[in-house]
Amino acid sequence: MRVDAIAVELRPRPMWEATDLGVRLVQANARSIWRTWAPVYAVFAILALATVEISPWLPSFLIFWFKPWMDRSILFVLSRAVFGQPTRFADLWAERRSVWGGQLLTTLLWRRFSPWRAFTQPIYQLEGQRGKARRQRRKQLLRQQQGAAGGMHFAFANIEASLTFGALALALWFAPEQMRGDIFDWLVGRGEGSEVLASLCTASVYAGIVLLLEPFYVGAGFAMYLNRRVQLEAWDIEQEFRRAF
Amino acid sequence: MAAEHQAVSLDTLYTAETPEGIALSLRPAGAAARALAYMVDLGVRFGLFMVVSIAAIPLGGMGQGLLLVSYFLLEWFYPVFFELTGSGATPGKRMFGLQVVMDSGLPVTPAAALTRNLLRAADFFPFLYASGLLTMLLRRDFKRMGDLAAGTLVVYADTVALHGQLPDAAATAPTRALAPREQAAIVAWAGRAKRLTPARLDELAQLARSVTPGQGGDATGRLLGVAQWLVGNRHDPRRTGERP
Repeated sequence: MRVDAIAVELRPRPMWEATDLGVRLVQANARSIWRTWAPVYAVFAILALATVEISPWLPSFLIFWFKPWMDRSILFVLSRAVFGQPTRFADLWAERRSVWGGQLLTTLLWRRFSPWRAFTQPIYQLEGQRGKARRQRRKQLLRQQQGAAGGMHFAFANIEASLTFGALALALWFAPEQMRGDIFDWLVGRGEGSEVLASLCTASVYAGIVLLLEPFYVGAGFAMYLNRRVQLEAWDIEQEFRRAF
Repeated sequence: MAAEHQAVSLDTLYTAETPEGIALSLRPAGAAARALAYMVDLGVRFGLFMVVSIAAIPLGGMGQGLLLVSYFLLEWFYPVFFELTGSGATPGKRMFGLQVVMDSGLPVTPAAALTRNLLRAADFFPFLYASGLLTMLLRRDFKRMGDLAAGTLVVYADTVALHGQLPDAAATAPTRALAPREQAAIVAWAGRAKRLTPARLDELAQLARSVTPGQGGDATGRLLGVAQWLVGNRHDPRRTGERP
Protein backbone atom coordinates (compact mmCIF):
# COMPACT_ATOMS: atom_id res chain seq x y z
CA MET A 1 0.00 0.00 0.00
CA ARG A 2 1.68 3.17 -1.15
CA VAL A 3 -0.27 6.05 0.30
CA ASP A 4 1.81 8.62 -1.55
CA ALA A 5 0.75 7.11 -4.87
CA ILE A 6 -2.91 7.84 -4.16
CA ALA A 7 -4.10 10.23 -6.84
CA VAL A 8 -6.90 11.59 -4.68
CA GLU A 9 -6.48 14.53 -2.34
CA LEU A 10 -6.87 13.18 1.17
CA ARG A 11 -8.02 15.64 3.80
CA PRO A 12 -10.43 15.33 6.69
CA ARG A 13 -13.90 15.69 5.23
CA PRO A 14 -17.38 15.42 6.66
CA MET A 15 -18.70 12.02 5.58
CA TRP A 16 -21.21 13.68 3.24
CA GLU A 17 -18.45 15.50 1.46
CA ALA A 18 -16.62 12.21 1.05
CA THR A 19 -19.57 10.80 -0.92
CA ASP A 20 -19.11 13.66 -3.36
CA LEU A 21 -15.44 12.81 -3.72
CA GLY A 22 -16.60 9.35 -4.76
CA VAL A 23 -18.88 10.86 -7.39
CA ARG A 24 -15.98 12.96 -8.63
CA LEU A 25 -13.72 9.90 -8.76
CA VAL A 26 -16.27 8.11 -10.94
CA GLN A 27 -16.62 11.15 -13.21
CA ALA A 28 -12.87 11.39 -13.67
CA ASN A 29 -12.51 7.67 -14.42
CA ALA A 30 -15.70 7.18 -16.40
CA ARG A 31 -13.91 5.57 -19.35
CA SER A 32 -12.16 2.94 -17.26
CA ILE A 33 -15.28 2.15 -15.29
CA TRP A 34 -17.81 1.75 -18.03
CA ARG A 35 -15.58 0.04 -20.54
CA THR A 36 -14.71 -2.55 -17.91
CA TRP A 37 -18.00 -2.89 -16.16
CA ALA A 38 -20.50 -2.49 -18.96
CA PRO A 39 -19.63 -5.78 -20.76
CA VAL A 40 -19.95 -7.80 -17.54
CA TYR A 41 -23.16 -6.08 -16.70
CA ALA A 42 -24.58 -6.38 -20.22
CA VAL A 43 -24.11 -10.14 -20.24
CA PHE A 44 -25.74 -10.44 -16.87
CA ALA A 45 -28.58 -8.06 -17.74
CA ILE A 46 -29.41 -9.96 -20.94
CA LEU A 47 -29.50 -13.24 -19.04
CA ALA A 48 -31.71 -11.62 -16.41
CA LEU A 49 -34.05 -10.17 -19.03
CA ALA A 50 -34.37 -13.61 -20.62
CA THR A 51 -35.99 -14.90 -17.45
CA VAL A 52 -39.07 -12.82 -18.22
CA GLU A 53 -40.55 -15.97 -19.72
CA ILE A 54 -40.56 -17.57 -16.28
CA SER A 55 -42.17 -14.70 -14.46
CA PRO A 56 -42.69 -11.01 -15.35
CA TRP A 57 -41.15 -9.70 -12.14
CA LEU A 58 -38.03 -11.88 -12.27
CA PRO A 59 -35.69 -9.76 -14.46
CA SER A 60 -35.83 -6.65 -12.27
CA PHE A 61 -35.56 -8.78 -9.16
CA LEU A 62 -32.46 -10.58 -10.42
CA ILE A 63 -30.75 -7.34 -11.40
CA PHE A 64 -31.55 -5.93 -7.98
CA TRP A 65 -30.39 -9.05 -6.17
CA PHE A 66 -27.07 -9.38 -7.97
CA LYS A 67 -26.03 -5.75 -7.54
CA PRO A 68 -23.59 -6.50 -4.68
CA TRP A 69 -21.90 -9.07 -6.88
CA MET A 70 -21.61 -6.64 -9.78
CA ASP A 71 -20.35 -3.91 -7.45
CA ARG A 72 -17.22 -5.98 -7.00
CA SER A 73 -16.17 -5.35 -10.60
CA ILE A 74 -16.73 -1.62 -10.11
CA LEU A 75 -14.72 -1.51 -6.90
CA PHE A 76 -11.92 -3.36 -8.65
CA VAL A 77 -11.71 -0.53 -11.19
CA LEU A 78 -12.06 2.19 -8.55
CA SER A 79 -9.37 0.68 -6.33
CA ARG A 80 -6.97 1.06 -9.24
CA ALA A 81 -8.33 4.45 -10.19
CA VAL A 82 -7.38 5.98 -6.82
CA PHE A 83 -3.79 5.21 -7.76
CA GLY A 84 -4.30 6.87 -11.12
CA GLN A 85 -4.24 3.55 -12.96
CA PRO A 86 -6.61 3.11 -15.91
CA THR A 87 -8.31 -0.26 -16.26
CA ARG A 88 -9.23 -2.29 -19.31
CA PHE A 89 -11.48 -5.29 -19.50
CA ALA A 90 -8.43 -7.53 -19.84
CA ASP A 91 -7.25 -6.43 -16.37
CA LEU A 92 -10.55 -7.47 -14.86
CA TRP A 93 -10.49 -10.72 -16.77
CA ALA A 94 -7.04 -11.51 -15.37
CA GLU A 95 -8.41 -11.08 -11.85
CA ARG A 96 -11.76 -12.70 -12.54
CA ARG A 97 -11.33 -15.46 -9.97
CA SER A 98 -10.95 -13.17 -6.99
CA VAL A 99 -13.29 -10.40 -8.20
CA TRP A 100 -16.17 -12.54 -9.44
CA GLY A 101 -15.65 -15.73 -7.49
CA GLY A 102 -14.55 -14.40 -4.10
CA GLN A 103 -17.02 -14.45 -1.19
CA LEU A 104 -19.81 -15.38 -3.57
CA LEU A 105 -22.27 -16.74 -1.03
CA THR A 106 -21.96 -14.02 1.59
CA THR A 107 -22.18 -11.34 -1.10
CA LEU A 108 -25.43 -12.77 -2.41
CA LEU A 109 -26.98 -13.78 0.91
CA TRP A 110 -26.78 -11.72 4.07
CA ARG A 111 -24.53 -8.96 2.76
CA ARG A 112 -27.22 -8.24 0.18
CA PHE A 113 -29.32 -6.80 3.02
CA SER A 114 -26.62 -4.65 4.58
CA PRO A 115 -27.68 -1.00 4.52
CA TRP A 116 -24.02 0.08 4.37
CA ARG A 117 -22.63 -2.47 1.98
CA ALA A 118 -20.84 0.09 -0.21
CA PHE A 119 -19.00 1.42 2.83
CA THR A 120 -17.90 -2.00 4.13
CA GLN A 121 -17.27 -3.59 0.73
CA PRO A 122 -13.63 -2.43 0.55
CA ILE A 123 -12.90 -4.29 3.80
CA TYR A 124 -14.10 -7.54 2.31
CA GLN A 125 -12.73 -7.10 -1.16
CA LEU A 126 -9.49 -5.16 -0.68
CA GLU A 127 -8.13 -5.64 2.83
CA GLY A 128 -7.88 -9.42 2.69
CA GLN A 129 -8.43 -10.19 6.37
CA ARG A 130 -10.45 -13.17 7.49
CA GLY A 131 -12.56 -14.38 10.36
CA LYS A 132 -12.32 -12.54 13.63
CA ALA A 133 -9.84 -9.92 12.43
CA ARG A 134 -12.21 -8.94 9.65
CA ARG A 135 -15.21 -8.71 11.96
CA GLN A 136 -13.26 -6.46 14.31
CA ARG A 137 -12.09 -4.33 11.44
CA ARG A 138 -15.64 -3.91 10.20
CA LYS A 139 -16.82 -2.96 13.67
CA GLN A 140 -14.05 -0.40 14.01
CA LEU A 141 -14.81 1.22 10.67
CA LEU A 142 -18.54 1.32 11.28
CA ARG A 143 -18.30 2.80 14.77
CA GLN A 144 -20.48 5.94 14.82
CA GLN A 145 -20.65 5.83 11.03
CA GLN A 146 -23.83 3.79 10.61
CA GLY A 147 -25.89 6.94 10.26
CA ALA A 148 -23.78 8.38 7.47
CA ALA A 149 -23.27 5.07 5.67
CA GLY A 150 -26.92 4.08 5.93
CA GLY A 151 -28.01 7.60 4.96
CA MET A 152 -25.85 7.48 1.83
CA HIS A 153 -27.40 4.11 0.93
CA PHE A 154 -30.88 5.52 1.49
CA ALA A 155 -30.10 8.59 -0.62
CA PHE A 156 -28.86 6.50 -3.53
CA ALA A 157 -31.82 4.14 -3.28
CA ASN A 158 -34.04 7.19 -3.67
CA ILE A 159 -31.98 8.59 -6.51
CA GLU A 160 -32.31 5.26 -8.28
CA ALA A 161 -36.08 5.29 -7.81
CA SER A 162 -36.27 8.88 -8.96
CA LEU A 163 -34.29 8.24 -12.12
CA THR A 164 -36.23 5.06 -12.94
CA PHE A 165 -39.62 6.68 -12.49
CA GLY A 166 -38.31 9.77 -14.27
CA ALA A 167 -37.30 7.73 -17.30
CA LEU A 168 -40.68 5.97 -17.37
CA ALA A 169 -42.46 9.30 -16.94
CA LEU A 170 -40.53 10.64 -19.92
CA ALA A 171 -42.27 8.05 -22.08
CA LEU A 172 -45.61 9.39 -20.86
CA TRP A 173 -44.58 12.99 -21.51
CA PHE A 174 -43.79 12.18 -25.13
CA ALA A 175 -46.87 10.04 -25.70
CA PRO A 176 -49.84 11.58 -27.52
CA GLU A 177 -52.32 13.03 -25.05
CA GLN A 178 -55.15 10.57 -25.66
CA MET A 179 -52.87 7.51 -25.43
CA ARG A 180 -51.27 8.44 -22.12
CA GLY A 181 -53.72 6.53 -19.94
CA ASP A 182 -53.39 3.40 -22.05
CA ILE A 183 -49.60 3.51 -21.99
CA PHE A 184 -49.61 3.97 -18.24
CA ASP A 185 -51.91 1.00 -17.79
CA TRP A 186 -49.76 -1.05 -20.10
CA LEU A 187 -46.55 -0.19 -18.20
CA VAL A 188 -48.00 -1.24 -14.86
CA GLY A 189 -49.26 -4.47 -16.45
CA ARG A 190 -52.97 -3.69 -16.39
CA GLY A 191 -53.55 -2.88 -20.02
CA GLU A 192 -54.23 -4.87 -23.12
CA GLY A 193 -51.41 -6.49 -25.00
CA SER A 194 -48.49 -8.57 -23.88
CA GLU A 195 -47.61 -8.44 -20.20
CA VAL A 196 -44.23 -9.95 -21.01
CA LEU A 197 -43.38 -7.07 -23.32
CA ALA A 198 -44.40 -4.46 -20.74
CA SER A 199 -42.32 -6.13 -18.06
CA LEU A 200 -39.39 -6.37 -20.45
CA CYS A 201 -39.75 -2.66 -21.13
CA THR A 202 -39.75 -1.55 -17.47
CA ALA A 203 -36.99 -4.02 -16.59
CA SER A 204 -34.79 -2.63 -19.39
CA VAL A 205 -35.32 0.91 -18.14
CA TYR A 206 -34.38 -0.21 -14.64
CA ALA A 207 -31.35 -2.06 -16.01
CA GLY A 208 -30.25 1.10 -17.81
CA ILE A 209 -30.54 3.22 -14.69
CA VAL A 210 -28.50 0.68 -12.70
CA LEU A 211 -25.85 0.74 -15.41
CA LEU A 212 -25.61 4.49 -15.04
CA LEU A 213 -25.96 4.87 -11.29
CA GLU A 214 -24.29 1.89 -9.65
CA PRO A 215 -20.70 3.13 -10.11
CA PHE A 216 -21.61 6.38 -8.35
CA TYR A 217 -23.01 4.46 -5.40
CA VAL A 218 -19.97 2.22 -5.12
CA GLY A 219 -17.69 5.23 -5.56
CA ALA A 220 -19.45 7.14 -2.80
CA GLY A 221 -19.08 4.22 -0.41
CA PHE A 222 -15.43 3.76 -1.33
CA ALA A 223 -14.65 7.43 -0.75
CA MET A 224 -16.36 7.26 2.64
CA TYR A 225 -14.14 4.30 3.42
CA LEU A 226 -11.04 6.31 2.44
CA ASN A 227 -12.25 9.19 4.59
CA ARG A 228 -12.67 6.82 7.50
CA ARG A 229 -9.06 5.76 7.10
CA VAL A 230 -8.06 9.41 7.20
CA GLN A 231 -9.87 9.65 10.53
CA LEU A 232 -8.52 6.43 11.99
CA GLU A 233 -5.05 6.19 10.53
CA ALA A 234 -4.20 9.74 9.42
CA TRP A 235 -3.70 8.78 5.78
CA ASP A 236 -3.82 12.45 4.86
CA ILE A 237 -0.78 13.11 7.09
CA GLU A 238 1.04 10.15 5.59
CA GLN A 239 0.28 11.47 2.11
CA GLU A 240 1.67 14.89 3.04
CA PHE A 241 4.74 13.45 4.75
CA ARG A 242 5.60 11.17 1.87
CA ARG A 243 5.25 14.01 -0.60
CA ALA A 244 7.18 16.50 1.49
CA PHE A 245 10.08 14.48 2.91
CA MET B 1 7.60 16.99 -7.33
CA ALA B 2 5.14 18.15 -4.71
CA ALA B 3 3.55 20.61 -7.12
CA GLU B 4 3.20 17.87 -9.71
CA HIS B 5 1.33 15.69 -7.25
CA GLN B 6 -0.88 18.62 -6.39
CA ALA B 7 -1.83 19.09 -10.02
CA VAL B 8 -3.05 15.54 -10.65
CA SER B 9 -4.59 14.99 -7.24
CA LEU B 10 -8.33 14.63 -7.51
CA ASP B 11 -10.56 16.78 -5.34
CA THR B 12 -14.06 18.23 -5.36
CA LEU B 13 -12.99 21.83 -4.73
CA TYR B 14 -14.50 24.68 -6.73
CA THR B 15 -12.30 27.73 -7.16
CA ALA B 16 -13.96 31.12 -7.04
CA GLU B 17 -12.07 34.32 -7.63
CA THR B 18 -12.94 37.39 -5.60
CA PRO B 19 -12.86 40.89 -7.18
CA GLU B 20 -9.55 41.41 -5.37
CA GLY B 21 -8.09 38.51 -7.34
CA ILE B 22 -7.96 36.11 -4.43
CA ALA B 23 -8.74 32.50 -5.22
CA LEU B 24 -11.25 31.00 -2.81
CA SER B 25 -11.71 27.26 -2.53
CA LEU B 26 -15.35 26.34 -2.02
CA ARG B 27 -16.44 22.81 -1.24
CA PRO B 28 -19.53 22.11 -3.36
CA ALA B 29 -22.08 19.57 -2.18
CA GLY B 30 -23.48 16.83 -4.37
CA ALA B 31 -26.48 14.63 -4.82
CA ALA B 32 -26.47 12.40 -1.72
CA ALA B 33 -26.39 15.09 0.96
CA ARG B 34 -28.73 17.38 -0.96
CA ALA B 35 -31.30 14.65 -1.63
CA LEU B 36 -31.41 13.85 2.08
CA ALA B 37 -31.65 17.54 3.01
CA TYR B 38 -34.53 17.87 0.56
CA MET B 39 -36.35 14.97 2.21
CA VAL B 40 -35.97 16.57 5.63
CA ASP B 41 -37.35 19.83 4.26
CA LEU B 42 -40.23 17.95 2.69
CA GLY B 43 -41.06 16.57 6.11
CA VAL B 44 -40.84 20.01 7.73
CA ARG B 45 -43.05 21.53 5.05
CA PHE B 46 -45.57 18.74 5.44
CA GLY B 47 -45.61 19.32 9.21
CA LEU B 48 -46.19 23.04 8.75
CA PHE B 49 -48.97 22.36 6.28
CA MET B 50 -50.65 20.00 8.77
CA VAL B 51 -50.54 22.71 11.43
CA VAL B 52 -52.10 25.23 9.04
CA SER B 53 -54.77 22.70 8.06
CA ILE B 54 -55.80 22.09 11.64
CA ALA B 55 -56.16 25.83 12.15
CA ALA B 56 -57.86 26.53 8.81
CA ILE B 57 -60.36 23.71 8.39
CA PRO B 58 -62.89 25.05 10.95
CA LEU B 59 -63.00 28.33 8.98
CA GLY B 60 -64.93 26.74 6.12
CA GLY B 61 -64.58 28.26 2.67
CA MET B 62 -62.15 30.95 3.74
CA GLY B 63 -60.11 28.25 5.45
CA GLN B 64 -59.83 26.36 2.20
CA GLY B 65 -58.62 29.49 0.49
CA LEU B 66 -56.05 30.04 3.24
CA LEU B 67 -54.95 26.43 2.89
CA LEU B 68 -54.33 26.84 -0.82
CA VAL B 69 -52.42 30.08 -0.29
CA SER B 70 -50.29 28.50 2.42
CA TYR B 71 -49.60 25.51 0.18
CA PHE B 72 -48.45 27.85 -2.56
CA LEU B 73 -46.23 29.80 -0.16
CA LEU B 74 -44.72 26.67 1.38
CA GLU B 75 -44.00 25.14 -2.01
CA TRP B 76 -42.31 28.16 -3.55
CA PHE B 77 -41.12 30.45 -0.79
CA TYR B 78 -40.13 28.18 2.06
CA PRO B 79 -36.61 27.66 0.62
CA VAL B 80 -36.32 31.28 -0.49
CA PHE B 81 -37.15 32.51 3.00
CA PHE B 82 -34.60 30.31 4.73
CA GLU B 83 -31.86 30.83 2.15
CA LEU B 84 -32.07 34.58 2.71
CA THR B 85 -31.65 34.29 6.48
CA GLY B 86 -28.19 34.46 7.97
CA SER B 87 -27.21 30.83 7.59
CA GLY B 88 -28.25 30.63 3.93
CA ALA B 89 -29.79 27.23 4.48
CA THR B 90 -33.17 25.58 5.00
CA PRO B 91 -33.49 23.45 8.16
CA GLY B 92 -32.79 20.32 6.12
CA LYS B 93 -29.66 21.82 4.59
CA ARG B 94 -28.47 22.99 7.99
CA MET B 95 -28.87 19.47 9.31
CA PHE B 96 -26.41 18.20 6.71
CA GLY B 97 -24.03 21.13 7.11
CA LEU B 98 -24.94 22.72 3.78
CA GLN B 99 -25.28 26.33 2.75
CA VAL B 100 -26.32 28.17 -0.41
CA VAL B 101 -23.87 30.82 -1.64
CA MET B 102 -23.27 32.65 -4.91
CA ASP B 103 -20.61 30.91 -6.99
CA SER B 104 -18.35 33.87 -6.25
CA GLY B 105 -18.43 32.82 -2.60
CA LEU B 106 -20.63 35.78 -1.59
CA PRO B 107 -23.91 35.38 0.31
CA VAL B 108 -26.85 34.46 -1.89
CA THR B 109 -28.87 37.42 -3.23
CA PRO B 110 -32.70 37.59 -3.16
CA ALA B 111 -32.91 37.43 -6.97
CA ALA B 112 -30.68 34.36 -7.09
CA ALA B 113 -32.58 32.60 -4.30
CA LEU B 114 -35.83 33.22 -6.16
CA THR B 115 -34.41 32.06 -9.50
CA ARG B 116 -32.91 28.85 -8.19
CA ASN B 117 -36.12 27.91 -6.43
CA LEU B 118 -38.49 28.79 -9.26
CA LEU B 119 -36.36 26.61 -11.53
CA ARG B 120 -36.98 23.63 -9.29
CA ALA B 121 -39.76 22.97 -11.78
CA ALA B 122 -37.11 22.35 -14.46
CA ASP B 123 -35.09 20.15 -12.15
CA PHE B 124 -38.22 18.20 -11.24
CA PHE B 125 -38.79 17.26 -14.87
CA PRO B 126 -39.77 14.60 -15.88
CA PHE B 127 -40.60 13.32 -12.43
CA LEU B 128 -39.18 13.42 -8.87
CA TYR B 129 -36.22 15.71 -9.66
CA ALA B 130 -34.72 13.19 -12.08
CA SER B 131 -33.03 15.82 -14.25
CA GLY B 132 -31.75 17.78 -11.26
CA LEU B 133 -30.20 14.65 -9.80
CA LEU B 134 -28.70 13.71 -13.13
CA THR B 135 -26.96 17.07 -13.55
CA MET B 136 -25.69 16.85 -9.97
CA LEU B 137 -24.14 13.47 -10.72
CA LEU B 138 -22.61 14.47 -14.04
CA ARG B 139 -21.25 17.93 -13.30
CA ARG B 140 -17.98 18.57 -11.52
CA ASP B 141 -19.45 21.36 -9.39
CA PHE B 142 -22.63 19.36 -8.65
CA LYS B 143 -24.92 22.20 -9.75
CA ARG B 144 -28.52 21.54 -10.66
CA MET B 145 -30.20 23.62 -13.35
CA GLY B 146 -31.56 26.13 -10.86
CA ASP B 147 -28.03 26.71 -9.61
CA LEU B 148 -26.75 27.18 -13.14
CA ALA B 149 -29.38 29.78 -13.93
CA ALA B 150 -28.98 31.67 -10.66
CA GLY B 151 -25.19 31.38 -10.43
CA THR B 152 -25.40 29.79 -7.02
CA LEU B 153 -23.57 26.91 -5.41
CA VAL B 154 -24.50 24.65 -2.52
CA VAL B 155 -21.43 24.25 -0.33
CA TYR B 156 -20.44 22.58 2.90
CA ALA B 157 -20.38 25.08 5.72
CA ASP B 158 -19.07 22.61 8.30
CA THR B 159 -15.44 21.65 8.55
CA VAL B 160 -14.03 18.71 10.44
CA ALA B 161 -11.16 19.19 12.81
CA LEU B 162 -9.35 16.00 13.65
CA HIS B 163 -6.48 17.70 15.45
CA GLY B 164 -6.45 18.54 19.13
CA GLN B 165 -3.91 20.23 21.32
CA LEU B 166 -0.25 19.56 20.70
CA PRO B 167 1.27 17.23 23.31
CA ASP B 168 3.99 18.71 25.50
CA ALA B 169 7.55 18.24 24.34
CA ALA B 170 10.85 20.03 24.61
CA ALA B 171 11.11 22.37 21.65
CA THR B 172 13.85 21.45 19.20
CA ALA B 173 14.83 23.26 16.05
CA PRO B 174 14.63 21.24 12.82
CA THR B 175 17.86 20.41 11.03
CA ARG B 176 16.99 22.53 8.02
CA ALA B 177 14.64 25.33 7.06
CA LEU B 178 11.18 23.92 6.36
CA ALA B 179 8.79 24.94 3.60
CA PRO B 180 5.39 26.20 4.82
CA ARG B 181 3.76 23.01 3.60
CA GLU B 182 6.18 20.83 5.54
CA GLN B 183 5.63 22.92 8.66
CA ALA B 184 1.86 22.55 8.32
CA ALA B 185 2.20 18.79 7.88
CA ILE B 186 4.32 18.41 11.02
CA VAL B 187 1.98 20.52 13.15
CA ALA B 188 -1.03 18.62 11.80
CA TRP B 189 0.70 15.36 12.65
CA ALA B 190 1.36 16.49 16.23
CA GLY B 191 -2.25 17.60 16.59
CA ARG B 192 -3.45 14.09 15.79
CA ALA B 193 -1.35 12.55 18.57
CA LYS B 194 -4.33 11.81 20.80
CA ARG B 195 -6.36 10.14 18.03
CA LEU B 196 -3.73 7.74 16.77
CA THR B 197 -2.17 4.72 18.37
CA PRO B 198 1.43 5.36 19.54
CA ALA B 199 2.64 2.80 17.02
CA ARG B 200 0.96 4.57 14.12
CA LEU B 201 2.17 7.96 15.35
CA ASP B 202 5.71 6.67 15.43
CA GLU B 203 5.38 5.06 12.01
CA LEU B 204 4.49 8.47 10.61
CA ALA B 205 7.26 10.19 12.57
CA GLN B 206 9.78 7.84 10.96
CA LEU B 207 8.85 9.32 7.57
CA ALA B 208 10.05 12.74 8.71
CA ARG B 209 13.33 11.50 10.20
CA SER B 210 15.36 13.75 7.94
CA VAL B 211 14.28 16.94 9.71
CA THR B 212 14.76 15.85 13.32
CA PRO B 213 18.18 16.31 14.88
CA GLY B 214 20.10 13.30 16.12
CA GLN B 215 19.96 9.68 15.10
CA GLY B 216 18.05 6.75 16.56
CA GLY B 217 15.94 6.80 19.67
CA ASP B 218 12.52 8.29 19.96
CA ALA B 219 11.34 9.61 16.57
CA THR B 220 7.93 10.65 17.92
CA GLY B 221 9.41 12.67 20.79
CA ARG B 222 11.86 14.47 18.54
CA LEU B 223 9.24 15.36 15.94
CA LEU B 224 6.85 16.56 18.65
CA GLY B 225 9.67 18.85 19.77
CA VAL B 226 10.00 20.20 16.24
CA ALA B 227 6.22 20.78 16.15
CA GLN B 228 6.42 22.74 19.42
CA TRP B 229 9.28 24.77 18.01
CA LEU B 230 7.27 25.50 14.85
CA VAL B 231 4.25 26.81 16.75
CA GLY B 232 6.55 29.12 18.64
CA ASN B 233 6.94 27.47 22.08
CA ARG B 234 10.67 27.80 21.82
CA HIS B 235 11.56 27.10 25.38
CA ASP B 236 11.10 23.94 27.38
CA PRO B 237 7.77 24.06 29.23
CA ARG B 238 8.97 21.44 31.69
CA ARG B 239 11.96 23.54 32.71
CA THR B 240 10.32 26.93 33.05
CA GLY B 241 6.96 25.58 34.15
CA GLU B 242 4.99 28.20 32.24
CA ARG B 243 2.56 27.85 29.35
CA PRO B 244 2.68 30.56 26.72
